[in-house]
Amino acid sequence: METGWYPVALAEGLERGTSTGARLFGRELVVWRDSAGASHVWEDRCPHRGMRLSFGFVRDNHIVCLYHGWQYDTAAQCRYIPAHPDLAVPSTIRVATYPSIERLGIVWAYNELDSGAPQDIGFAERAPVTPVRSLYVDASAAKVFDALVLAECPSLKNAGGATQRSRTDALVSLKRGGDEILVAVQPLSDVEAALHIVIAGPPDVHSGDSQKRVSAWGEALRREIEGAARPTGEVHHGVAP
Amino acid sequence: MSEISLYDFELDENCYKVRLFLSVLGLSYRKVPVNMVPGREHLAPALMALNPRGSLPILTNSDFVLSEAEAIMTYLARAHDNGNAWLPAEPKARGLVAMWLQFASRDLHAAFLARRLAMFDEPGDEVALGFAARSAFRLMEDHMTAREFDRAAWFVGDNPSLADLALFPAIALSRDFGVEHEAYPALRRWMRRVRTTPGFVTMPGIPDYY
Repeated sequence: METGWYPVALAEGLERGTSTGARLFGRELVVWRDSAGASHVWEDRCPHRGMRLSFGFVRDNHIVCLYHGWQYDTAAQCRYIPAHPDLAVPSTIRVATYPSIERLGIVWAYNELDSGAPQDIGFAERAPVTPVRSLYVDASAAKVFDALVLAECPSLKNAGGATQRSRTDALVSLKRGGDEILVAVQPLSDVEAALHIVIAGPPDVHSGDSQKRVSAWGEALRREIEGAARPTGEVHHGVAP
Repeated sequence: MSEISLYDFELDENCYKVRLFLSVLGLSYRKVPVNMVPGREHLAPALMALNPRGSLPILTNSDFVLSEAEAIMTYLARAHDNGNAWLPAEPKARGLVAMWLQFASRDLHAAFLARRLAMFDEPGDEVALGFAARSAFRLMEDHMTAREFDRAAWFVGDNPSLADLALFPAIALSRDFGVEHEAYPALRRWMRRVRTTPGFVTMPGIPDYY
């Protein structure tokens, strides 16, 4: 497991006032967006009893544990304990957090808890993208990359020529003619990964048809990656020799 | 005036489908609690006489007896939803709702069995059931992802239908058998919309707060 920036969700799909569980290398994260629109990535564990915060809910700018209602502010500091309503909550009660940032229409987390100095993510702040979808695959991130570096860019608006591919630690770009899609790969566990797919270019150009085309491309890629590796689902008719 | 009776087990997701739709329709009914687990009352002679399949839910109205959640929902829609909001009259929408009702009773049966195995220690192959349940959820996720590209919010048409209510319980309860909602972002957004339906009710395993 390398320390660095990894995608955990598509930014647009994470609505205000909602939370979800996510994993990086088997570690459990809660990804949530407060009512002001800021996203947060924390360890998915309430310090009180270890309950997963992603089972809880967001109210205003607090995320609330479903178990006993402890509330945490956007700095991960516990602010309210319902069983002790008059208590000034000690500052030591806080959730461990991951540095996070939104770039390319994707929420990224730096996989070092309470890191004071994460490296620069390196992506431009305002590159316009059109989100497509997140796809969850029963295969390792390595297998996903193996398929992606051989994949063809689906043709969108300005197709032409051969697919040009480039890769950084967690992101693959497939470019052909004037079309480009970006696929960020989230290693969930040794045998599962997620692909967060966006089209480079603004939504007024790519909403609708291009999104559908890229989504169908992703489903075909998922079938190819999983291939015969899936545990069941196919009937094998044995023939006696 | 006839009275609707529902033979019901609180923890059963198929009974919940009918309770949910009765609540959405605002119909009053008599709930007859059946101790399915651990009592196995649904297999006792009195209930087997009503429904020889030995399944819940069972709905009765005077002499009329009906089993299978999707069939009961269809009957209630025709009998009590005069505007055809939940079971559209338009042929294509009607066909699509019927397809998803079939999906809820057939493809999602694996999810039902996986949950019974996890919660009630009923027999079953945990790996195979879990795989089949996740395959069905994936089909639902792909469908709602495609719907969102058309700015559509529901499984069929522009409004919630019986399809949404019949498909909701299995995925909403999937954590009961160890399937998280991580892999289903479009279904998470759709589930939040289902919860805003007037008359929506929860059951044990589906939090009131979300």
